[in-house]
Amino acid sequence: MAAYKAMTQEWLDAWKEKIAGSQEYKEIAKNWEGSVSIIVNPDPDKGIPEPMYFFTDYWHGEVRDFMICDKAKAETAKFVMSGDYARWKQVARKEVDATKALMQGKLKLKGDLTYVVRNIKTVNKVIDLLCEIETIWPDGG
Amino acid sequence: MVKGYAGRYLRVDLKEGRCSDFTVSEPLLHRFIGGSALGAKLYLDGFPLNADPLAPESPLFVMTGPMVGSGFPGTSRFAVCAKSPLTGIWGESACGGTFGPELKRAGYDGIVITGRAKTPVWLSVVEGEARLLDAAGLWGKDIYEATDLLKKGDPGLKVLAIGPAGENLVLFAAIGNDKGHFIGRTGLGAVMGAKRLKAICARGSGRLEKADEGRFREIHKAAALEIKESALAGSLHAMGSDANMDIGMINGDVPVKNWSIGEDFELSAALSGPTLSESYLTRAHACTHCPVACKRVVRVPDGPFQTEEGPGPEYETCSIFGTMIMNRNLAGVIKANELCNRYGMDTISCGSAIAWAMELFEKRALTEKETDGLDLTWGNIDAVLELLPRIARREGFGALLAEGSLAAARRIGGDAVDAVVHVKGLDLPMHDPRGFHGMGLAYMMSNRGACHLQHVVLATEQGMASWPQLFPMKDDYRGTTSEEKAELVFHSENYGILGNSLSICHYLTYCLRPETIRDAFNAITGFGYGFADLMVCGARDWTFKRGINNLLGVTQRDDVLPKRIMTPLKEGAGAGSVPDMERLKREYYALRGLDERGVPREGKLKELGLDELRERLYP
Repeated sequence: MAAYKAMTQEWLDAWKEKIAGSQEYKEIAKNWEGSVSIIVNPDPDKGIPEPMYFFTDYWHGEVRDFMICDKAKAETAKFVMSGDYARWKQVARKEVDATKALMQGKLKLKGDLTYVVRNIKTVNKVIDLLCEIETIWPDGG
Repeated sequence: MVKGYAGRYLRVDLKEGRCSDFTVSEPLLHRFIGGSALGAKLYLDGFPLNADPLAPESPLFVMTGPMVGSGFPGTSRFAVCAKSPLTGIWGESACGGTFGPELKRAGYDGIVITGRAKTPVWLSVVEGEARLLDAAGLWGKDIYEATDLLKKGDPGLKVLAIGPAGENLVLFAAIGNDKGHFIGRTGLGAVMGAKRLKAICARGSGRLEKADEGRFREIHKAAALEIKESALAGSLHAMGSDANMDIGMINGDVPVKNWSIGEDFELSAALSGPTLSESYLTRAHACTHCPVACKRVVRVPDGPFQTEEGPGPEYETCSIFGTMIMNRNLAGVIKANELCNRYGMDTISCGSAIAWAMELFEKRALTEKETDGLDLTWGNIDAVLELLPRIARREGFGALLAEGSLAAARRIGGDAVDAVVHVKGLDLPMHDPRGFHGMGLAYMMSNRGACHLQHVVLATEQGMASWPQLFPMKDDYRGTTSEEKAELVFHSENYGILGNSLSICHYLTYCLRPETIRDAFNAITGFGYGFADLMVCGARDWTFKRGINNLLGVTQRDDVLPKRIMTPLKEGAGAGSVPDMERLKREYYALRGLDERGVPREGKLKELGLDELRERLYP
């Protein structure tokens, strides 16, 4: 399996492809509507000198835009999730459950929490598929 | 006077119709702080342990802690304690609402009640004056009616009342505070009923003195910010505790069909927090001084389960009258909740008895002949709604269930006992230990029987909170392993039980940093406690209540999970997994300093400063 540098467009494309290719995702996410942006807080020691913004969009089991973006675009998403690089890395490596990180305040969410809870299986599936991508991280691992 | 305390306790002798005040020494408050911990101390020191829980000489305690009435978020809690008529061991239950802060304002930290009134009475505690008043016009009324009648006479009263279930000594009878908050577990409503005490009402205008008002204000502001930023607080506000239904079903937390099925996503979707909010919520409601407002106010506008706007079900109730009995009609759950509220019954134990009966009905161990014509097929919520008043009134088959599921099963005999899911006689709350082994240990060791509120294991094991500054813990635990769980449970008990002494809501404990709670406690009391001091208070409380239970006959043989929980599920996140009971128990006993009999060792009692208990356990 090819390995991708984390937080690059290629990495996002690989993630998008994973999701698009999952029949299970299509079934689970048939009611999901809307975009999710991810904000990675800067951490110069880990090779992240500036904040990074990613925009991902999902619609009734289909996957739409998956792109690196600027702050303004990120803030247009239906849901905005932010956190430190180290936390996102733990989530993408399945070392920490995203819901738990959210409840512990290690990730922040802007958006309708009720909608997320209602569709928690969709959220979990998207993260599970991210965890399947072989990733090269800026600080190793 | 010690800051944070009203400075006096009320003693009520119902036989003599007499009320008097007493005080508790400062050193005792330093050791036990308040709440149920202090109740336990007063119980051991002053009352016969061998008395029947429903006998006049058995005391009932209503206790607050030093943070109650301070205005700090989540500190409207109060505890009611007694020897439990359901389990025969130490019983306690706590709730938020309005009564705790009002009792403090009325001039009392707690009330100790003994005796039995000749005729029904209610206790009025208004502006420092306590009086026993005739309750003839209230007896027989449900909790909503009694509360309305009492408030009609004095709208400022905060009411603590029992319903017909308490009057009829249903062994899981509850006590309701202002209709929406319940002392549910361990049957303490029956203790009030046995004393012919219909209600306790408080009103006052006193002000709590704090050790450092300025510092307290600063911490209060910081706490408000932490709550505002807490995703958990946001979730509780938006969906109430029933937010757990969707997530819990995925994680293997939610019991289905009397603990026999591992998952059913159609059920959880129909009964979830989002569904409740979208379909029936009229508004969120808060306990006194709480910015979270996790309580649901609901209304079913029409149909067979129509209800007026009123207190709605929490997660536990949605599970017990939903997933546990295979009922997917949320309006039916709301109706069952309303009936339990009105009659005054613990929804967990009441629903567990019904789920048990449904299982027996399916197996033909019970038929319509025994159930007085009720068709107790799984999911038949109509039959449940017919059955609830019969339980509260102890009519026919209802009288059998009014004894609690374990006693009912023993009366039926045979395999019926295997379908009861309890520890020490208390039915399990709605969190499956096969998905979370630490919770299994916590159920085994909780001093009131299977309990999710004598500790914070729900938060720590399921990852809602992480406090590495308080005790060694990881950000993320795997539920289906018993490794590393004994230590997690030990610390989570010490912190959670401490919250019960301080009288702070567990949800707020999850949302706030431990530093914030510690600093608020110190600003109120001036005790100057560090984390280590506070955790020792928690450990002392746990050990003290364990010692009382040992004196009441509890041994290591009682520290077991029921057969059903030790039977693996076939599906869901907990499939194929059961807690390693022996390992958990061995490791936990070592941490707690319990000997092979399950009794605290003398050295541990000395270490915790519990000489009075040592003298009783090692005469």
